[in-house]
Amino acid sequence: MDLPVEPAMTRPGALTDVSGRLAGRPLEEWNAAYGKVENYFHALRIRNKALLGQLVLRVLERAMKRAPAEPNRSATQIAAEEMDRIVTEWFAEVLQEPPTNADQMLSTRGRLALLLADMPGQWQDQFLRPPPWPEEFVHSMRDAYLRAGPDFQLSKMTARPFDLGPITTLTNLGRIPYLKMAVVWGLFVLLLVALFHFTHSH
Amino acid sequence: MPGAILQSASAPGQSPPLVLAPRPRVHRGGRVFVFYSCAFLMTGFVSMLFADLLWRTGWSASRTLLLVLFVILFLLIAIGCVHGVFGFCLRAFGDRQLITKTDYRSQSLAGTSTALVFPIYNEDIVRVYEGLRATYESLEKTGQLEHFDFFILSDSTDPDKWVEEERRWFELIQELDALGRVYYRRRLDSEGRKSGNVCDFLNTWGRRYRYFLVCDADSVMRGETLVDLVKLMEAHPTVGLVQTVPALVNAESLFGRIQQFANRLYAPLFIAGLNYWALNLGNYWGHNAIIRTEPFMQFCDLPQLPGKKPFGGQILSHDFVEAALLLRANWEVWLAYDLEGSYEEVPQGMIENAQRERRWCQGNLQHGLVLFARGLRGVSRLHLLLGICGYLAGPLWLAFLLTFNWIRWYQKYTGLSNITVHAFTPYLNLSGTAHALLIFTICMAILFLPKVLALIDLAFDGERRRAFGGLARTTVGVVGETIFSTLHAPLLMLWHTRFVVTNLFGASVGWSQQKRGPDGTTWTFAIRRHWGHTLIGLVWGVFMWRLNLYLFWWFTPVFTGMVFSIPLSAWTSRRRLGARARKLGLFLTPEETKPPVELVALRSQMRIHEITDDTTPHRPHAGLAEAILDPYVNAIHVSLLREKQLNPVYAEQLDKLGVGHKEVRGLGEKLLTQGPAQLTAPERLLIMTDARAMVWLHQQLWLRPGETLAPWWRAAIQEYSRRD
Repeated sequence: MDLPVEPAMTRPGALTDVSGRLAGRPLEEWNAAYGKVENYFHALRIRNKALLGQLVLRVLERAMKRAPAEPNRSATQIAAEEMDRIVTEWFAEVLQEPPTNADQMLSTRGRLALLLADMPGQWQDQFLRPPPWPEEFVHSMRDAYLRAGPDFQLSKMTARPFDLGPITTLTNLGRIPYLKMAVVWGLFVLLLVALFHFTHSH
Repeated sequence: MPGAILQSASAPGQSPPLVLAPRPRVHRGGRVFVFYSCAFLMTGFVSMLFADLLWRTGWSASRTLLLVLFVILFLLIAIGCVHGVFGFCLRAFGDRQLITKTDYRSQSLAGTSTALVFPIYNEDIVRVYEGLRATYESLEKTGQLEHFDFFILSDSTDPDKWVEEERRWFELIQELDALGRVYYRRRLDSEGRKSGNVCDFLNTWGRRYRYFLVCDADSVMRGETLVDLVKLMEAHPTVGLVQTVPALVNAESLFGRIQQFANRLYAPLFIAGLNYWALNLGNYWGHNAIIRTEPFMQFCDLPQLPGKKPFGGQILSHDFVEAALLLRANWEVWLAYDLEGSYEEVPQGMIENAQRERRWCQGNLQHGLVLFARGLRGVSRLHLLLGICGYLAGPLWLAFLLTFNWIRWYQKYTGLSNITVHAFTPYLNLSGTAHALLIFTICMAILFLPKVLALIDLAFDGERRRAFGGLARTTVGVVGETIFSTLHAPLLMLWHTRFVVTNLFGASVGWSQQKRGPDGTTWTFAIRRHWGHTLIGLVWGVFMWRLNLYLFWWFTPVFTGMVFSIPLSAWTSRRRLGARARKLGLFLTPEETKPPVELVALRSQMRIHEITDDTTPHRPHAGLAEAILDPYVNAIHVSLLREKQLNPVYAEQLDKLGVGHKEVRGLGEKLLTQGPAQLTAPERLLIMTDARAMVWLHQQLWLRPGETLAPWWRAAIQEYSRRD
């Protein structure tokens, strides 16, 4: 494992400024921040616990550096932002895109590339790692493109109406007001006639 | 096969219209005449006997009505019987008029392109994809995969289904290594339903493919069959459509297995009979058929019918009409009934079956208007008419029974004596009772003759006989199937009557989703659906008992099905009863005794899903949560939405929907802070259709502190994080 992670744990001075606090925040706050970052990496299917721990600590270290300058924001907020920044920067580097990510599409493309390159299955150790990356991994990431359909070849089918002849007139009968009511009355009259006929036919 | 001359005449700026010269009709005309004349002869003879019987007991207006109903109903069963008889003869002596009898196997697939399309609408997606996988793998084995593309054409409106479709599609293409071979597309609206869905596919990609093959959600096709179908089309450039005859498979319940057994045993005879008179003017059943894209696109876009429902508006049962339109443009439509390797599934219970019948009934009645469309071929009108009669037979039978009951009741309560007079039947030397019995016997013979012929056909085919488990077991199966269909028929009569009447009055028959337990229809659901049938059966039974005890016994088959409809419906939907019957060797089909590779693969995959899939009920809006929370599902979803925007038609629709507008961001904010329940279903769908909103939501959900999110989201994140 060659991650440029210098876990805060290795520098006790940076860890505990006062008892029960880390980077000026209560331990619980960092615990919540840890949980949030861990959840996200877990969602990215980083299943190796050692690797997962290292990645989370790397994000937290950057968050801790920022924390004293932003006392009004929670550790979780700062850590989530740092996580987003680290991931986006890494995507930009791997995919050779400008790291602006103004509309978040870089992040989307990056996540899709991770999936298509099967990062969770084959390249977990390369995730967030600085270059150089294995050739195959880089190719898989950069060539990743999800094709949901072939190139369009647009055309327009046109329906030809049926010529129903005189039947068309019948279909327009429904527009006559009170037609249904008249039909029901007509049926009622027919019923009476039929009843009379059947009961008087002998 | 008659040839046709392909002409082309192009107008500037338009694709050249395909015009085929009309083919001679004399040969087929003779066949239609002979075939239907047999049915008319039978009907004429028996109707005379029936009229004579009515005459003997005194003619009246109600007897005229009874005779008219009898003639129509008898004609319908006679047509069915003639199908069976002709089919039996053709199978016994050989049928040379088959599209597959031509030399087509030497054709090459080089240069051809075929799309297999799976239109789906809120389906059980696991089953759909596993069917697709089985077809794909089978095709792969033929070495001809490169000439085919697969399209999942979704019209799903349920967000959970939508997300599941996308996720499982990705898993499928990963597993099959089929990226760029198996595609997924979801429409933004479901205009035109299934035919609109296919039309949308054709408008987008149709011109890339020489042929397309429509599959149903439960279709499975053998690779060799697919290759054969393309070769058939290549060998016959004037053929617009070849329909296979899908075998019903994979049934587990008793009802499903009985239906599947009947289909596999009797259908070959009936279809051979159908092919006798239809020949190259065959029909289309909506799926498991290959279609030549160009003429279909030119001639088969369905127009709206004039007038209001039930006849006017959008054409619901599109398949018959599309075949009629192809035939009108002089393209041939064939039934390739001897091509094996085409499969579909059957409803597992009587109620599910009736639900399907309801949809078909609505569509078929609408064909009543199409019947009068100018320019259609006579044979097309015949196909349409037979479809309509299939549903009108129910109410007509009921009317026949009621009229008969009325006559008997009238006779009893007016005190009129039943004095028989002589008519021409004295030459037969029959008493009134014997006369009635003779007619009844003929009717039964006409009804059951095809079944007997199917058994004889089986007896002389050793391989097929073994595939059905032997002649003795098949005979027992036929007896069992006959008993069941006798009980089931009165229920279908009541259902069809209800469907027809409600449709004619322009109302749609409302029906909630089937409630299935782990082993079939639940008792409560069966009671809810059948209490009316039971009541009708009881009332009718008591009425007949009081009217005439002798008649009562003759009517028992009609009442029994109704009175016992609840247990009949519940029990026959049970898988364990289906399994028990199978263990006894009853209702076996060739696909059960010797399962084809595709079906074995499908079943084993489904079994794996049964064991491994998470069966815990999902919380509401689980699909929406997954599409926003899961980094990968979100990426797939957004990627598919972005691809949609490249299509100008979709881009316009997206704009109309309000995608990309500021309001969507506002709805997104509401979704995060108040939860999905506070949004309407269209609002949730709008958010899910907006790529930028979905990306933004994914980011915000993971960036924002929990306390700023709705409790629903906090719970969703917690639940999601615990997943492994």
